[in-house]
Amino acid sequence: MQFVDVMVRQAHPGPAEPAYATFEEKREDAETYQREEGISWPVLVDDLEGTVHQVYSGLADPSYLIDADGRVAYYNMWTYSPVLHQAIEALLAQGGRGVVLGEGIDQTPHLMPSMTDGWKGLRRGLPQSFVDMETAAPTSATMMWLGHQLRPLLAPLTLREKPLPASAKIVIGGMVVAAAALVLRSRRGQASG
Amino acid sequence: MTTPVTTPEAAERFAALTEKEPLGEYNYTHFRTKHLLQDAQRTIQKQGILPGEIAPDFELPRAGGGSLRLSDLRGKPALVHFGSFT
Repeated sequence: MQFVDVMVRQAHPGPAEPAYATFEEKREDAETYQREEGISWPVLVDDLEGTVHQVYSGLADPSYLIDADGRVAYYNMWTYSPVLHQAIEALLAQGGRGVVLGEGIDQTPHLMPSMTDGWKGLRRGLPQSFVDMETAAPTSATMMWLGHQLRPLLAPLTLREKPLPASAKIVIGGMVVAAAALVLRSRRGQASG
Repeated sequence: MTTPVTTPEAAERFAALTEKEPLGEYNYTHFRTKHLLQDAQRTIQKQGILPGEIAPDFELPRAGGGSLRLSDLRGKPALVHFGSFT
């Protein structure tokens, strides 16, 4: 497996990180990104027009799993590690070739990772990035700040690398049912009392 | 100044895109609601390279120097992720 990152435009520009005026600025950010995130694989720098990014959808955060023949094996439109983990395992299991996991596409807008981890990016463009984000989608920037504060609590669930085991799903499902039952009971109690 | 390298294949695919954004719009100065809506629409329409298709070749400069060509990775699987600094 070879991992590759491609650096795209500023998603949330601000005074310290304005829209790129030159390719050199973009390259410098890619170097800082690689260093700050401790990325050991290549970080590539797309041109200012986003030629490669736009050919590959122009989405904010997509991932493509490409098979040994250079074909798309899985298209994760909103990058989500547990899904990619499954896709990579499936691809390796079938010898590194072919489409995996049914139709080979995940269109689900996975927002929990960016709600937990997105503040790191938004913080670089403060204060404009925050104002723009709140204007574009009210409360979303605040939620990202909150997600960052609660990161130690949320990360094991929202930033996990692998799919949850069936036992964990049963436990979480049980907790949701129990919580709903408690709410219903207290409401009935209030109604009769 | 170093200029990025793209292959003719990527350049042709880019030229053929019906909904590509011009530089000023792509490289925007303010994040807006329309960018969220655009992403939602692209997701529903399954824009991008679909499963089973050949991933269009490109060659881009690497942070830290040198460059990488996608087709040089053939022979083993690769994961290509697109992301922003901000």
